[in-house]
Amino acid sequence: MPKKKTSPTVPLIETQSLTKSYFSEELETPVLHGIDLTISEEEFVSIMGPSGSGKSTLMHILGFLDQPTTGKYLFRGEPTRTMTDDELAAIRATRVSFVFQAFNLLPRTTVLDNVMLPLLYHPTIPASERVERSMNAIKSVDLEDRALYYTNQLSGGQQQRVAIARALVTSPDVIFADEPTGNLDSKSGNQVMEVLQDLHDEGGRTIILVTHEQSTAAHAKRIIHLLDGNVSSDTKQFTQINAKKNNNLKK
Amino acid sequence: MHINDTVQASYKAVTAHRMRSVLTMLGIIIGVGSVVLLVSVGRSFERYVLDQVESFSSHLIEIYPTGFEKFGRSLDSLSFSDYEAVTQLSTVESVAPVIFVTEKVVYGTEEISPMVFGTTNKFFANYSLNLEQGRLLNESDIKGARSVAVLGYQAAIDLFGDRDPLGERIRVGKRFYTVVGTMETIGSALLQDLDTPVYVPFTTAKAQTGQKYLSYMTMKASIDDDNLVVADITSLLRQRHGIENIDNDYDKDDFRARSASQATEIVGSVGLGLTIFIGLIGGISLIVGGIGIMNIMLVSVTERTREIGLRKALGATRQDILRQFLIEAVALTMIGGVIGIVGGASLGALIAAVASKFVGTVPFVLSIPALLAAALMALATGLIFGIFPARKAASLSPMEAIRWEG
Ligand SMILES: Nc1ncnc2c1ncn2[C@@H]1O[C@H](COP(=O)(O)OP(=O)(O)OP(=O)(O)O)[C@@H](O)[C@H]1O
Ligand SMILES: [Mg+2]
Repeated sequence: MPKKKTSPTVPLIETQSLTKSYFSEELETPVLHGIDLTISEEEFVSIMGPSGSGKSTLMHILGFLDQPTTGKYLFRGEPTRTMTDDELAAIRATRVSFVFQAFNLLPRTTVLDNVMLPLLYHPTIPASERVERSMNAIKSVDLEDRALYYTNQLSGGQQQRVAIARALVTSPDVIFADEPTGNLDSKSGNQVMEVLQDLHDEGGRTIILVTHEQSTAAHAKRIIHLLDGNVSSDTKQFTQINAKKNNNLKK
Repeated sequence: MHINDTVQASYKAVTAHRMRSVLTMLGIIIGVGSVVLLVSVGRSFERYVLDQVESFSSHLIEIYPTGFEKFGRSLDSLSFSDYEAVTQLSTVESVAPVIFVTEKVVYGTEEISPMVFGTTNKFFANYSLNLEQGRLLNESDIKGARSVAVLGYQAAIDLFGDRDPLGERIRVGKRFYTVVGTMETIGSALLQDLDTPVYVPFTTAKAQTGQKYLSYMTMKASIDDDNLVVADITSLLRQRHGIENIDNDYDKDDFRARSASQATEIVGSVGLGLTIFIGLIGGISLIVGGIGIMNIMLVSVTERTREIGLRKALGATRQDILRQFLIEAVALTMIGGVIGIVGGASLGALIAAVASKFVGTVPFVLSIPALLAAALMALATGLIFGIFPARKAASLSPMEAIRWEG
């Protein structure tokens, strides 16, 4: 699928005074307090911050999974608030994908079927390519020997890798990964980082990653720190850890 | 999303949650099955009752005296010459006169108080009563006013138990009778109980009681239209009794001729009550079945809501979701509905077959309206409680649905 490039003056993602509160029975929990953020096409960004600072909340909004309470979210210059349900579905199906912190795999369903699921909703990838694409994604996270296992028969780390494979299978423009290495040892963590870095360096994909590990964050070119629902720092990194080199070194 | 993919997604969702699917289907099976079963069994019973009445009452006509009961005496408006006159009518045949003997019947130490019918052998034919052993009352019994008796099925048991009653002497009031025959059970006690009486020759009963009138008469219509025959008899007897009755007011008559098909109509109106009752049972089981289906569907709403959230997060449109759930609900409902209908009908047929062993042929009547209502109920509850929660879940943002706690 050809990647649609917009003029460089229009950022991929732009938020203006974005806030988010959760409501439950009259009780308001404000979580994000006016986030102004711009992320351009082909960036590799890490988001860091203490637990409860609102990282996942922000990611869900940026990843089209939730609506902000107030403020604006522009995707390629278009306000998302006015998008119809079908437009949002189309973006989720083709442009962005999400690695959930809690995996969110379908239980009692095989790894292959889980990874294949987004392809069912993809408008252009032909059905004949589904299995091959899914198997490639599963291979890239080193799980081909578990492809026909049920997801509830896997370890936590293996489930996390299934979630990553599912996010890769449609080759989306933007990948949101919420703590994708949280349950992995350093070796498989590195492997995942290599996959993501590859997608960015060679595939030209935009990667937005949440992590609480400095070493994982250091793979990105830019690190954004959140504190209590505000951006506390936003720094460019001129040298990044190279996961591939790291992997080779370890071998 | 292509329709094939939707069907596959539904299939995978059904098989991935085997327990939930089985329970949902079970709810539908039980709901539909019980409606079909209960209503069909009710209908079969109703058919059985009507068949029984019709089989033994075809063209049967009875004439009995009416009017105010004179103190201490039975009604005496039907005379022996009335009997002779009715016998001459071309529209009737097999006329049997009846005189009741109101006496105790004794054998050894056993004493019972049955109806004692003084009648002729035509009586048995009119009511389709069959001999079990011995013989019926015959012409010479009547002519000679012999002291012989035929025992109804139950009377024979009550008096003799396991012993053979043939040839034994029983006492009716002050007179001794020799038992010459016993009757088969007629198996139905709907209009009259014809298993308990003792039958003796008409002439003997007349002699013993000294009665100058008939207790009643029974006969068969010899033409198809029972009502015509009844009218024929009625005008004959009115003429004989000197009753002017152009407006056909039965209160002015001192007798009443009635065909058993009219009695069937009475049973038929009892049948209407039965139908209403069955309908009520059907309605209640519809509601109970519907609630069962609803429950199991609502129990899984939380799980399903999360699944819907996830599917939406991966790019499913609202339509994709609704189609998947529609296919799932329809498939489960149809499979469960068919099993329920077949199961309910089979069980009903089995019950009818077992009942037939005990009370005579019970025809199995499958109630088509009940079947349709049950299928409709299953479809409606399946759709409403399968689709509405799915619709609601599909209108949430993916994260709201994934975080759903119910
Ligand atoms: N559905 C919800 N309802 C109410 N409050 C919520 C809800 N989800 C999250 N919160 C609150 O929002 C705040 C931010 O949550 P969030 O999940 O975004 O944190 P996070 O930065 O991702 O933390 P972690 O590193 O632990 O994953 C937390 O204080 C949490 O209690
Ligand atoms: Mg989080």
